[in-house]
Amino acid sequence: MTGRHYRRLGWLWLAVLALCAIWLGWMLRQGLPADTDLTALLPADRQAPLIEKADRELGRGFENRFLLLLADDDRVATTQALGQSLQRLVDEGQLAGIDWRELDLADADPHGWMGQWRYRLLTPQWQRAIDTDGGSALVEPALRRLFSPTARPEPVADPFGLLDAWLSRLPRSPIGAADGLLTLDAEGRQWSVLIGELTGSPYELPMQNALHATLERFQQRHPDAELLRSGLVFHAAAGARQAKREMSTIGAASLLGVVLIIGFVFRSPRVLLQLMVPLVAGSLFALTLTLGIFGRLHLLTLAFGASLIGIAVDYVLHLQCDRVIDGRQFRLRRLMPSLTLGLVSSVIAYVAQALTPMPGLRQMAAFAAFGLIGAWLTVVLWLPRFTLHASPFTASLATRWWRLCQPRWRLSPWLALAGALVLVTICALRLTSDDSLELLNPSPAALMHDEQRVQQLLDRDTGSRYFLVQASDTQALLARLETLDGALDRAIADGLRIEYQSLAGSVPTMTEQQANLARVRKLYGPPLDALVERAGLPANVADQARARLDQAPPLTLTEWLETPIGSLQQRLWLGETGDGEVAATVVISGERDDRTSAALATLADTLPKVKYVDRVSRIGGLLGELRRHTAIWVITAMALMTLALLWRYRRHAWRVVVPPFGATLIVLTAFAVGGVPLNIFNQLGLLLILGIGLDAGIFNVEHARKPAAWLAITLSTLTSLLAFGMLAFSATPALHYLGLTCLIGLASVWALVPWVRPGPGHSTTSPRESEHV
Amino acid sequence: MPFRRWWITLLLLVPLSAQAFDLGDLQRRLAATPSLAGSFEQQRELADLDSSLSSQGTFLFERGKRVVWQLEKPVEERIELTPQAITDGSGENAPPGGEQVAQLFLQLLEGDWQALESRFTLALSGDQDDWQVALTPREAALRERIAEITLRGSDTIDHLDMRTPDGDRLKVRLFDQHPLNDS
Repeated sequence: MTGRHYRRLGWLWLAVLALCAIWLGWMLRQGLPADTDLTALLPADRQAPLIEKADRELGRGFENRFLLLLADDDRVATTQALGQSLQRLVDEGQLAGIDWRELDLADADPHGWMGQWRYRLLTPQWQRAIDTDGGSALVEPALRRLFSPTARPEPVADPFGLLDAWLSRLPRSPIGAADGLLTLDAEGRQWSVLIGELTGSPYELPMQNALHATLERFQQRHPDAELLRSGLVFHAAAGARQAKREMSTIGAASLLGVVLIIGFVFRSPRVLLQLMVPLVAGSLFALTLTLGIFGRLHLLTLAFGASLIGIAVDYVLHLQCDRVIDGRQFRLRRLMPSLTLGLVSSVIAYVAQALTPMPGLRQMAAFAAFGLIGAWLTVVLWLPRFTLHASPFTASLATRWWRLCQPRWRLSPWLALAGALVLVTICALRLTSDDSLELLNPSPAALMHDEQRVQQLLDRDTGSRYFLVQASDTQALLARLETLDGALDRAIADGLRIEYQSLAGSVPTMTEQQANLARVRKLYGPPLDALVERAGLPANVADQARARLDQAPPLTLTEWLETPIGSLQQRLWLGETGDGEVAATVVISGERDDRTSAALATLADTLPKVKYVDRVSRIGGLLGELRRHTAIWVITAMALMTLALLWRYRRHAWRVVVPPFGATLIVLTAFAVGGVPLNIFNQLGLLLILGIGLDAGIFNVEHARKPAAWLAITLSTLTSLLAFGMLAFSATPALHYLGLTCLIGLASVWALVPWVRPGPGHSTTSPRESEHV
Repeated sequence: MPFRRWWITLLLLVPLSAQAFDLGDLQRRLAATPSLAGSFEQQRELADLDSSLSSQGTFLFERGKRVVWQLEKPVEERIELTPQAITDGSGENAPPGGEQVAQLFLQLLEGDWQALESRFTLALSGDQDDWQVALTPREAALRERIAEITLRGSDTIDHLDMRTPDGDRLKVRLFDQHPLNDS
């Protein structure tokens, strides 16, 4: 390659990057099209858009609202203090509303807007009563009702109290009124209830801060008051605070560490800047091409893909160490075989990953492969052109460091094999796995405890277990829901300890409503006359009452969902599905053991188009599937790498694979012994270990007698250790596990390298190493 | 000796009546009778009917605890109101919103002005032997359901009159009231 040729390639690459920047800018003109659903990472036949929609609908109340429970000896005064300070946030526009006074319940009185439908809504008991004897048994209770001092009798509109009977059957909120406050009586204590509504997203920072400050101030002034919080906004705020805290501790410490080490070794701020250039170029290249190919990006892809590009730091450090030590003697050609092999073996691993049927892993692989290629091209084509002065200090440091790390003896392949077998055995016996949902949940324990207490006190479901029911149209759906409700009622009568919420309980089918109206006409015959007479009312009252039946509109699902009570059931309605059908959910609360889950799943199997979904175990299952696929792929990648290395290094190949594979085994054994279960996040961490370990192995063998290579390996593992290993101290489970893996793995890579370095007698380096560029 | 205690209490109250009579005095006066029993006559006039619903019975009142409303004519029914719940003869719970009505009814019979004042403006007129308290709802939401309530009485509450905006009216007369030994 001539110098002119080389320069031309450099400019060509710069042009490609410029085009990427323009293309990326065009693709991002409406923001990053990012997925967050875990299922988007799975093959299409495992995706369930309807379940995702159901999950979103059921979670909505949790997203847009928050709920506070307050108990105190001086409940009224403290609640007023808190209510008024939250009202100030409403006045400032931070919150959409806050309900805490009794009056805030006022429009919850359903008599005003439910009246017109009452003649078509009958409870099962009333249906039976009318079917048995025409309803004469209902006269006596109706009479009592007419004369009760607290009832509101309507002899013409509703002499029998149809509406009250219907309403008393609807699920009633446990929240009532006392002392002029919204109150919950639970566990022998009165709790004040404050319900807040957000103006927008629960992730808005100014609102989070204002709400947090208000509640903190309240708790400082009323240290004895017990305040429980529930709502996504508190979890989001805790997450944001934690991220900020960790950014300023873990993040700052690792950045400072990298700057200090690079600064100490190279004595030049330039190296630090030049370290960033290939990483930025690689990320740009990867983001553009991945978005271009897939159209969308998963956030997990972005996070882990970007971490994997971190492997490219190896290329930069090896090149820079050589340049700073060799000065004018530096020749790119000498480094090219190892650089190329490092890239090729990593890219082979990612290509293998791209062949898996998991779209999420394919995306991640494409992102990482493009990123490494982009960074590699930048390192090779541009880095040597940036000025870097030879540093005698770095050279002497490398030599001293090299001497210091000479091992007393060298590892034999058989000993390595025996060690590996022991570690594999320990892993096989002791290693466990964990795919629980908690991995994705970064909330602090206190907040989770609050959340559980609130759900328990309110006897409320979290919408995490439900039946998904589909049908061709609304009427068929209501009929199917009714069948399901019937089956659930029978199961409950047989001892299943659950409760359920279903739209069919609120809106009967048109056929049923018609039958109900016919029953009411029967009731309005002789029983009505008897009632009117015994109440001492004029006989024409009965005629006036009958006349009302002529204008008795049916209750449609749409109308119901628009009423104040009905709107609380909006979350159960999914509307039209993609294939022209309609769908709804029936939410389950109560007992949560395996027997109940099995009974519910069996019940769903007996009914057509009814599916039982347990969100917690479903997400656990998805995480598990993702983990198993990643594991298979890690193993495939290891096999492919071994093949590629065998082809070049023959019987010395084991020296190259010991650092990456040995480190992987050490990490797994450490987890097995320490009782850390394997999950998707520490497996993704293993990929990083493999990449960096492999580069270390290659350079270690290719440049066995060169102090610069050992210095570069040390720097590379040390900086990656600082960048990723420090995450082990994060309180976010996903980051913690990734970090823990990197911490142990990278330390192992570094510790293993000297023991497998070829002795002075071996010659594995390319015979052309002395040739110049 | 319940009767003697009743008279002693009354005698003790006499000097107070020399001063201006206010809601506090009235409440203390009513509180002097912790529990009592008597008869009632209830008449409900409904605007869209020419006729009215009349009923009679007896009642038992234990201050701060409960009211038992025993309907005798035209139908027999025992209704028990406590601050927490309202139950009828069949033990069934009241329809939604019933608790609030029951609570209001209790507060009225007790003359619990502090509790009532959070939702009504109160106006006291007359003297201690023939007083009248008029209650008008403060908030619009409650005004949709209740137009005005008046209470009248002397040592005890003798009349309750509640009007709704749609013209309905509930009139309750309490008579033959006698204190009970609360031990």
